[in-house]
Amino acid sequence: MLASVRTCALKGIDGFEVIAEVDISSGMPTFSVVGLPDTEVKESKDRVMAAIRNSGFDFPLKRITINLSPAERRKSGTQFDLPIAAGILAASQSISQDGIQKLENLLLLGELALDGSLRPCAGVLPMLISAKNSGKVVVVPPGNILEAQTSGVKFITPRTLRDLADWLDGKKEDQAVQISFIPAEQEAMPSPLDFCDVKGQALAKRALEIAAAGGHNVLMIGLPGTGKSMLAKRFPGILPPLSEEEALEITKIYSVCNLIGKTKRLTDRPFRDPHHTISDVALIGGGTTPKPGEVSLAHNGVLFLDEFAEFSRTTLEVLRQPLENGMVTISRAKESVSYPARFTLIAAMNPCPCGNLGNPHKPCTCSPVQISRYQSKISGPLLDRIDLNVTLNPVQYGDWNKPAEGDTTAQIRARVIAARQRQQVRFKNSGTTANAFMTQKQIKAFCQLPPGADQILEAAMRKFGLSARSLDKVLKTARTIADLENKENIENAHLIEVLQYRPLDRKGVPDL
Amino acid sequence: MSISLQERLARIRINAFLYFRADWLKRLIDIFGSAEEILKQNAETLAKEAQMNPSTAAHFLKDAFAIDPQEELDKTLKYGGQILVPEDEDYPQSLRDIKESPIALYVLGKLPQNRLCIGMVGTRKITAYGRRVANTLSEGLTQAGAVVVSGLARGVDSQCHAAAVKLQKPTLAVIGTGIGRCYPPENRELARAILQHGGAIVSELPFNKPPHAFHFPRRNRIIAALSQLVVVVEGEIKSGALITAKLALEMGKDVLAVPGPIDSPQSSGPNSLIKEGAGVVTSVKDIIDYIPSPQLFSLETLQEDTAPQQEQADLSPLQNKILQLIGTEEKSTDQIVETLNLSVPEAATALFELEVKGLLSCRAGLYSKSKF
Repeated sequence: MLASVRTCALKGIDGFEVIAEVDISSGMPTFSVVGLPDTEVKESKDRVMAAIRNSGFDFPLKRITINLSPAERRKSGTQFDLPIAAGILAASQSISQDGIQKLENLLLLGELALDGSLRPCAGVLPMLISAKNSGKVVVVPPGNILEAQTSGVKFITPRTLRDLADWLDGKKEDQAVQISFIPAEQEAMPSPLDFCDVKGQALAKRALEIAAAGGHNVLMIGLPGTGKSMLAKRFPGILPPLSEEEALEITKIYSVCNLIGKTKRLTDRPFRDPHHTISDVALIGGGTTPKPGEVSLAHNGVLFLDEFAEFSRTTLEVLRQPLENGMVTISRAKESVSYPARFTLIAAMNPCPCGNLGNPHKPCTCSPVQISRYQSKISGPLLDRIDLNVTLNPVQYGDWNKPAEGDTTAQIRARVIAARQRQQVRFKNSGTTANAFMTQKQIKAFCQLPPGADQILEAAMRKFGLSARSLDKVLKTARTIADLENKENIENAHLIEVLQYRPLDRKGVPDL
Repeated sequence: MSISLQERLARIRINAFLYFRADWLKRLIDIFGSAEEILKQNAETLAKEAQMNPSTAAHFLKDAFAIDPQEELDKTLKYGGQILVPEDEDYPQSLRDIKESPIALYVLGKLPQNRLCIGMVGTRKITAYGRRVANTLSEGLTQAGAVVVSGLARGVDSQCHAAAVKLQKPTLAVIGTGIGRCYPPENRELARAILQHGGAIVSELPFNKPPHAFHFPRRNRIIAALSQLVVVVEGEIKSGALITAKLALEMGKDVLAVPGPIDSPQSSGPNSLIKEGAGVVTSVKDIIDYIPSPQLFSLETLQEDTAPQQEQADLSPLQNKILQLIGTEEKSTDQIVETLNLSVPEAATALFELEVKGLLSCRAGLYSKSKF
């Protein structure tokens, strides 16, 4: 007998429909899965066999062939357990003819435990989104209910294989398997971390505000304990709220990585802070079965790299592609997948290996060579993608006892949102989302220099070693400052302020 | 008196053996009559005649034949430089006078002729104070018509060269690598500017020699020799700057020191020199006063400290307030913003203008006055 069951597989963060064809014929008892299955799919055989037996069915001792079509695409994941099991039940006529017909209008996803219960699997959300157009009812494990709700498909969540079979046979009511259609409704909770908790550091706060308003990347250099991490953790709070579309994108990525439920609500912007010993692949994504890396998990949010100079040089260099394109492409001989990775990079580092350079109370014990080697770890091309550099100096003792001061997260966020709105109007239908991502053409159109700006930039090149290639960054950042102040055009004061955030351009050499 | 091209090439060869002091090389030349003759020997005869260890002699010949003197000469000429030997007319007299005159001197640019040369040396770990002092003294000396001699190292050295270059005046850099290299690499722009404004870069090392710790004390003797007197700006007790000072004293030159805070490690060197009797520098005039006959060098008369105040007259009240706040310390933008109750953009504008006027300099986010 032949049966076919619909299911889904993943490529990158998009799903595609797969048909699991099950053929049972007489002959020597064998069980084979074809159609480019990965290891976890091949292992599915043993789970399926045990789950069918333990659910009280007979496992047919015949020649069983499973074909996962389209057969030329590689398939991975554990979601094929349930469709294969259901297909075997249908092909061996363990369920009624009505049930088989019902099965044809379903799309099945789910991993099976040996006792026949359904376990959650990774990547359900993107698969459901791609299945939405087919109009089929989807069977998902109870553990993936949150994603099923987010996707907006009609779904049922049986607890076990037996529940599903009974429901197909009409022995159980719909309620027993929860046919539900609840749109996801969740409000972001205000973060308990507030910008006004940070004492002093007016310059760094202002730089972060500009970064949030224009999507710029920031490098904070400062002594240990000056509040670099504190500020970075508060940064997602001043970012504008996620749009519907953005929220869905990041939820898809988290779903692929099976991180839903382990992280906070998906209505918040992600904040990822990998340790500096992270491998290239973990940061950027990849592996034999490609998986998104930290840069993609930080998509539409913040990637905070503390101890920036301690990351290995190659790890830092691989950041260049996502910083440039907002996307990571992982190419293998057989296929290549792309993951979105448009994040705001907040990097923090000490000024020198011992961390005391510029500390008024403790001398730095590093040699000049060590310092320059440490600082030169951040290569020019990488630095070129970081628009704002800011130095944090120690807070004086007196400032410590002062009450909370400066603007609160809510105040800053309101300004950021206003500035972003101006950018949205400006970049309408152009695909650009913020000032930091402006194309050359847009820079020409929207960043016109005021009279007198030439002298300022000329002086900056002469005195601070501002390079011609970093001129674009200056213009983009100045545009954001102008937006924050609700100005139509860039003014000289804006340009001058940007120059405050470029200390790394001033090499340790005297001005000429 | 001039020497043949063959002899010059032989000198370049023997100069490449860095494990002998220049006077030992000189002795070898005296023993054999010429460098060419030395190179005709084999290791055994060389060892016997010059009473050297045979393995040293072998090493010597190996190093001497490892370089291609014609190529050294060609490369130097290509960059517009020259390789001088003591017999050349252009070879500085002050270098001929010392015991360890370099056998060969690679020169880029123009060596100063009949000018007062003042050595200014100091630490690579410069403080804001050191920067201010180096800047002010070097500028004053250069304006008066002297040539500042230093080592193109990080810190005090670069600051001294830069002050002269900013006035578009010559300065002399004696470096611890071959002239075909720039160390530290970030000073490449500075080196180019030195040559552009009529200064010179000299070294006794082979053209492409990379930096090595033992090159620098050797190079210091050339700084000391080329200078009429040496000023130590900042430096720790055990530092290259103090080696230069010691060498200058041995050559019978005056050593002056800039006093500094007694708890600053960078000022421990000059402070100890002062204790031992070195001259105290508190202004450019103090240095000029040490020159026995300044009129010989046609130095211009110095105007006493009037320039800075004139400049400050056309500053805005806010800029004056900032200068006052910074005083002799280093302040971050945050401190300025908080103390004067400013917004970041306001402070940015004022600081930028002060920096462009050359009154402030910014290092690692800290502002300090660039002159006193």
